[in-house]
Amino acid sequence: MAQLSYRSQYYHEFLRGATTVIPVMIGVLPFGLLLGAQAAQKGLSVGLLSLMTGLNFAGGSEFAAVALWTSTPHLITIVLVSMLVNSRHLVMGASLAPYLSHLPRRKALPALFFMCDENWALAMADATRRRAAGQDPAFSLSFYFGLAVTLWTVWLVSTTVGALIGPALGDISRWGFDMAFPAVFFVLLKGIWKGIRCAIPWLVSLACASLAYHYLPGAAYVPIGAVTGIVAILLMGAKV
Amino acid sequence: MNLLPVATILLMALSTYFTRILGYLLLRNRQLSPRMQAIMDVAPGCVLITIISPYFITDKPADLLALAISLFAASRWGLLPVVLISVVSTAVLRFLL
Repeated sequence: MAQLSYRSQYYHEFLRGATTVIPVMIGVLPFGLLLGAQAAQKGLSVGLLSLMTGLNFAGGSEFAAVALWTSTPHLITIVLVSMLVNSRHLVMGASLAPYLSHLPRRKALPALFFMCDENWALAMADATRRRAAGQDPAFSLSFYFGLAVTLWTVWLVSTTVGALIGPALGDISRWGFDMAFPAVFFVLLKGIWKGIRCAIPWLVSLACASLAYHYLPGAAYVPIGAVTGIVAILLMGAKV
Repeated sequence: MNLLPVATILLMALSTYFTRILGYLLLRNRQLSPRMQAIMDVAPGCVLITIISPYFITDKPADLLALAISLFAASRWGLLPVVLISVVSTAVLRFLL
């Protein structure tokens, strides 16, 4: 009986995660198609692209890799640029660590494979809310897997379809779907808002990242935005 | 010769997974100092806002206006309405402006 209720609770939480992520899919789907179309243009085969999006599952680094792709890809450049784009995962994983303390490593490490921006922010917001409501554990692993598996499937399928139908898509950005991406992030930011104290470091990050994006080549703006924000927190720390 | 693209993708995926687990491995089972806790409260937002910063660098008034509308919508509503409002207003503004 206890086993049964545990299972039904697992499914309930999984389903809650899968439905929570539906609005995010509206933003992710066109990007997946776009990445697929760009990959096809670059001569990346459908099989290779699916391998990349399925195993790597980090859109930003995949757009960068596809942009750098040639018939004999420059392995070191692509891996280094991808690590630069993904450097933010370090901060994200660290911030998630306290919420994962109730899980054994053999469960936490596979879960972290799915930690993309959206899954991470939705899981953090959910864990913050559950902690405030006194629920233990605050981090719901089955909710997280509901988000994660759903979004991973959408990403894999949309990039593959994009590679297959590529050129027929035309310029999908003119429809406005690309703006779903920052819109999702605005809502995610609201979910992790911790009072006005956040505002200054966040604005510092935004300003520095924007300047770096405008004036520096490639993905340098990612670590610059993250690090300058953290420096701002440290400088403020003396005053708070 | 066909090995190079596959090797590139596998190494890329491996390095990405490494960035995902490193922060967790470094901080698990560790009691955070108040200073570290303060960083952990705010740093995730710095990362998220960094990712969308390229959207703010644009000379298209339609896009800037759509960003402002999205931000306003996000301050009051949940994920689904905000995404719909954002996509529709962007499409309309790009058509009009």
